[in-house]
This record gives sequence, C-alpha cells and structure tokens, in this order.
Amino acid sequence: MSGLTRRALLGTAVRGTVLATMGGGAAFLVQKAHGQVVWQVDAARCINSRLGEAGVEACNLCTTECVVALSAVRAVNEYSKCGRCNICPAYFNITSAVDDLGLPSEKLCPRDAIERKPIGKVDPEDPANNFYEYIIDEVKCDGCGKCAIKCKEPLGLGSIVLKVRYDKCVNCNRCAISEKCPKDALQQLPVGQALR
Amino acid sequence: MTLYRRAAWAAGILVVLCVASLLADYVIAAQRAPQDDKRIKSLQEQVKSDASLAPNLAAEQKRITGAHLARKFRDRWLAWSLIAASAAFLASAKRLAPRGAGFQPARVASLPRSSPAPRSTPTLAPGLDLSFVDTAVALHGSGIESAIPLLQAIQTHYRYLPDEALRRLCELTEITPAQVAGTSSFYGQFRRSPVGKHLVRVCHGTACHVSGARQITEELRRYLAIPDAADTDPSRTFTIDEVACLGCCSLAPVLMVDGHTAGRLTPAAAREALKPFDQEPA
Amino acid sequence: MTLALVVVLLAQAIPYQRPVETAPQEKTIGGGYKTPPVQKPLPRDYWLQMADVALLGAATGLSVWLAIKRRSRKGLAWLSIGSLAYFGFYREGCICPIGSIQNVTVALTNPAYSIPIVVTAVFFIPLVVALFFGRAFCGGVCPIGAIQDLVVLKPIQTPRRLDRILGLLKYVYLGLAIFFALKPGMARDFLICRFDPFVGFFRRTGAPHMFMLGGAFLITGMFVGRPYCRYLCPYGALLGWCTRLARRGVTVTPDKELDCGLCARACPYGAIEKMRAVRKDCLYCARCYGSCPVYRRRSVSGAGSLDVQGSDS
Repeated sequence: MSGLTRRALLGTAVRGTVLATMGGGAAFLVQKAHGQVVWQVDAARCINSRLGEAGVEACNLCTTECVVALSAVRAVNEYSKCGRCNICPAYFNITSAVDDLGLPSEKLCPRDAIERKPIGKVDPEDPANNFYEYIIDEVKCDGCGKCAIKCKEPLGLGSIVLKVRYDKCVNCNRCAISEKCPKDALQQLPVGQALR
Repeated sequence: MTLYRRAAWAAGILVVLCVASLLADYVIAAQRAPQDDKRIKSLQEQVKSDASLAPNLAAEQKRITGAHLARKFRDRWLAWSLIAASAAFLASAKRLAPRGAGFQPARVASLPRSSPAPRSTPTLAPGLDLSFVDTAVALHGSGIESAIPLLQAIQTHYRYLPDEALRRLCELTEITPAQVAGTSSFYGQFRRSPVGKHLVRVCHGTACHVSGARQITEELRRYLAIPDAADTDPSRTFTIDEVACLGCCSLAPVLMVDGHTAGRLTPAAAREALKPFDQEPA
Repeated sequence: MTLALVVVLLAQAIPYQRPVETAPQEKTIGGGYKTPPVQKPLPRDYWLQMADVALLGAATGLSVWLAIKRRSRKGLAWLSIGSLAYFGFYREGCICPIGSIQNVTVALTNPAYSIPIVVTAVFFIPLVVALFFGRAFCGGVCPIGAIQDLVVLKPIQTPRRLDRILGLLKYVYLGLAIFFALKPGMARDFLICRFDPFVGFFRRTGAPHMFMLGGAFLITGMFVGRPYCRYLCPYGALLGWCTRLARRGVTVTPDKELDCGLCARACPYGAIEKMRAVRKDCLYCARCYGSCPVYRRRSVSGAGSLDVQGSDS
C-alpha cells in the first residue's frame, strides 16, 4: 500500500464505483429473477388449438416463421385425451372421396407425418369399431397445424395441439413466431409452468 | 510452399462449390415450392370428383415430403463440408500470406540445401552459392557475439548481404532475423542490395556541397539511369555512393571511381570520368 | 356430438362409426394396451446451463492468462477455435452477452419482465473481467469474434480517421438497440438478435439475406480485421468503457518487448498506436506478441536462454 499513487487511488475508486453499480444492477436482477424460461404455445390463444377459434383456416405461421429448419413447433398428440377414432379428422381429409374400405381416400397431413395403427383388442371383422392410435413422427412434422385445427369441435376432442419442441428450440431472445403470431400465443414461461 | 498453395486452391474451390450448390439448392427449392403447392391443390380438386386419382395424390405428397427431407439432409452435409473446407482454406492460405514485415526466416524446406559445390567467383544470379556461409559460420562460430564478423565476411565475399545468405545464416546460428536486420541496417558498412562492378564515391563534404556535388550526383544518376530508390544502375556496372569527405577539398567537387580521383568537376566532366570504366570489357 | 354426427353424415355420407365425447382409457381399449408417454423433449438441463456460464468464465480467465501472462498467440488461436466450436457451432451462438444487453435493459426498467440468473451472469462476467483485465472476452471466447478472427487473412490498416468514424457506429447501434428494446409490449424488438450476421452460420439455417450479410462480413473480414467487432458490436462499446478503467490491461512495453514496430504492423485491428496498445480497441488476439522478435526467438532457441533486458518468467 506504500506505493499507492494518486493515479492508482483514483483508478481504484472509479473501478470500485462501477463495480458497485454493476453489482447493484445484478443483485436487482437476481432478486427478481425466475428460473429458466422457455417459449411455449398457449393453447388457449392458438388459433389452431381446441380452445382457439372455430371455423377458421389453419394458421401455419409456426412453420414459416421459426428460425429452426422445419420449425421447433410441432404437433403433439396427448394420447390420454385422444378419442382413438376410426376416422380421425386430423388424420384423414374427411371431405375426400371414400375408398373401398369405407375410409376417406386422402390423408390430411401434407408431410405424411402421422401413423395410424389399431390398438387394444383388434377385431379384424369389424375394423370400424377398433381403436386406433395416431402417432406423430417428430422427424417429419413441421408444425403446420392442419391436424391440430381439425382435432377440435365438432369432430375431435382436441388431443392434438401444437407444442414447442424444446430440444430443437434455440430459445431466441425474441421468438420469431411470436413476432408474427396474430393471437400472441407464444409466451415465455418458466420451465415448470410450461411443462405442466 | 507449393503444397500449401495447392491445398489452398483445392479448399477454395471446394468452398465455392459448396456455396454454389447451397445457393442452387435454395433457388431450385424456392422455385419449385409454388409449383408443388399448385399441383397438390389441383390434384386435391381432381380427387374430389374422381376418387381413383387418390393414389396419385398420395404419391405426389410422398414425393414432395421425400424431396424436402432429402434437401434438408443434403444441405446439412453441404454446410458441414463448407465449414471444413473454409477451415482448410484459411489454414493453408495463412501459411502462404507473409506474416509481419521485413525479411523473414524462410521455411527451411524452401531453401536449397547447401551442397559442396566448387567455390567459384560469386555470381549475382538467383542460384546463389551459399556454401560460403557454412564455411564462415564454421570459422567464426554460431553465437550471437559472432554476428558482426559473420556479416563482414559475407559482405566481403558477396560484396553485399544477399537475403538468401542471411536466411542461411539465421538457420545456422543463434542470430535471429530481427538482429540481423537491426545490425545490418545500423552500420554503414553493410549493404543489403547488390553492388555494381565499380564504386563511384561522390563527395558531399562542405566544400564539394557548395561547389555543386548535388548536381554532379543527380547528373550521374540520370546518365546511368539509376532508379530513384536504388544506388546501382540496371546493368550493375556502377554503384553511386554519397560520401562525407574524400579529403581533397581543393579539388571540389570531386569523385572517386574505384581508386581513381577526378576533381573540379562539371556534370559533363563527371560523365567523362566514368567513361574509361564503362568501356572496359566486363 | 350428435349434431356433429348428423353434420358429417349429411355432408359426406361417411359412416362415422364412433364419435366419442370422452377419450377411451386403457381399460376400455383392452388387450393389454398401455397409453404411451407423450413425446416431450425437455429443455437443456439447468445445471448444464450453469455449466455453460462456468465455462464462459473459465474461458475468459484463460484468455486473460494467455494474453497477459503467457503472451501466446498460438494459445489464443486455439482458444478461439475451441470457443467457436463450442459456443458457436455446438451451442449455436446462444450464450450471448451481446444479445443479453437488451434483456438486461428491459429487465432493469420493466417491473413485469425478469430474466434468469444465467442471463444476468452471462451479461456481467465479461464486463467485470474487462474492468480488471480488458476485453479478454473478445479475444478467445466470443464466437462471433472468433469466427471473424480466424478468417483474417491479409488485413489492411484502415486509415485512423475512418477507423474512428466507423467506430462511432457501435454507439449508435447500442442506442438503437436499447431504444427498440424499451418499446412497450408487442412493439418491443430485439435488433441485435434480429440482425446478428453470424448466428445463421452457427445454426446452419436462417434467412437467405442474413446469410448474405454474414458472408459479406466474413469476406470483408479477410481484409479488414473483425469489422463487426470494431464498428458495430454494442457489447464491444460497453467493454471498451470498462477497459478504460482496467487495472491491468494488455501492454506492449519496451521492457518486455522491443520497440521495433513489428507489432503495429501485425495488429489487424489498428489497436497499436505509437507502439503502445490502445486498450479500448485491443481485441486480445495476441498477434502482436506472435510477431514480436523477442518471443519468436525465445520459442526458437529455448525459453529464456538469451536474456534480453528483463524478459520475464
């Protein structure tokens, strides 16, 4: 301390002040901080979801706006809510012509990302009364929402919803989809809340 | 050197190719997308009226999905190869680009290894015989303290300090390029450029200066067509040196060509003074 | 539901066998059916994020040590390659103090907005380091800096005046970024993230015009050292201010180095003026030490075997 010059003293003082200011700012931020946040689609706002709007065209902004290739938003089938219908309105294009098996000839998904397979006690005689599982292929889905919008009243139970794929999402500071989303459905939520 | 050059070229071409294919891929995909949409739409319309076309639609959808996934896969690999190629390009290109300034220690591989060639009169050709440097180092030692004797020996032998000889010197001794550069530029006795056959010393002492030594020098430079930055004419016959005093101020302005003195010069007389040496057979 | 059934039957005449009002559960389905778990990829673990922050701190410390103590260009070059690979290509550029300026500003002013501790740490660590040792973050850690540093091929010295004038741009950019970040609600925009020219390379995907911008920056960067860092980076502006107060910054001294001027020629960023380092502009690449005859000789003939006026350690 004997070699303390005026210059060094001033330097230390100014540095200390700046450090204290930064420390204060950091403390303020930490004090109001919450845990990790993630972007999530709010099902109550998303047009495509069951709680969204009825009688509208599917909105595909999640596909077109996301910065991640093939979008970090994808359709998820919440199996426990799925009706396991024979003719799933999200799987088939139910307005298309009926084929020999009595099923619509056209699939709805433009990327052929949904797989349909009978489950439970399969009765080969009466395929129409079997239960079917609809499995969404994560690799193919790009979150266009066409299936999600069909799986709601009056035909569906709303088990297919759009969700952010956290392993793909790069957690942009300002989610590119949220900038465009007409209903402001993309929200930044604390992890625990988003996963619930 | 050539290896790095070749590697840089190859990697550079690879970079350009990758960028070009990514761009082409993007442009093609951007053009195809609306067409594909249109085709799907029209097929969907047709299927509504004619169910037998349904497999066509399904096939078309499958094709488009397949193309999209294939593009994604392709682009990912192209991107990785682009990154790798750029890294390779930069790594090899950096070896080629000169670092820092001044004369650099050349990479050993690029220098001709000294061979026990017969000692001949030093040539000024690019294929300089460097074996003298080896001999000199053997004689004077390779420590930092031998720098000046070594430089003097080299200067005496080649009549100047050729860059190749200095590189060789740095390879053989502990002396660094920076030290060589410093020493050789500090002392007036060392020169770094080839010297002409005859040394013309033009006196620029006080007496000569006031009697027009500047004009004499300029005239000689013009006469011998010596470029501005140089001191030797292109045929390497004369080197002009401006010296402080030749010790015969009564003859001012004065010059010396090798051992011969010419005084009371005019520009024309100075030209005449060089003539006998110029006509001498080489 | 019956209404729906009627609608469908009338409209398409498809025998819609079993519209349901509630989802059938495992018991109803039978046949030993188990409801499969919903695909739910989790976000990056919290401890991993903390580990990223720790890594950021460690890398910054390493950068300080390499630049100030070891004075090793080679070490810093390898550190930048590592940072580019990890923070850049692996973490996809998203542990980013530059972008966090905006979040921090919003969080400081808007009571309803808060940021995770990780972001606070990422924002403050490099600043505190700069307050003591200068812009070490820029040298070996920042992936945006690293990618530009590694492409420097044949840098030209930008004229000083031009350099100064262009250098003012970063303050303008900082101001704009804060202005847009402070806009309320939906009008809020994060300019720095939106116009980040390199993040597309890190993600290997992005808008074509941003790729072109990034490519232009990289090609310019081959001849003008680190254009983004020197003229645009808003975080660089903050670091520059902190660095002015640095306790022990980068130095080029006649004691440890020579006063030969080779370093000034080697500096691609114009940060050596009159043979002394300009701390606020120094980007910690250590090219000056790499070109210094003192260190070059030492590496040739063994450390410290030739002692020139107090070469250290």
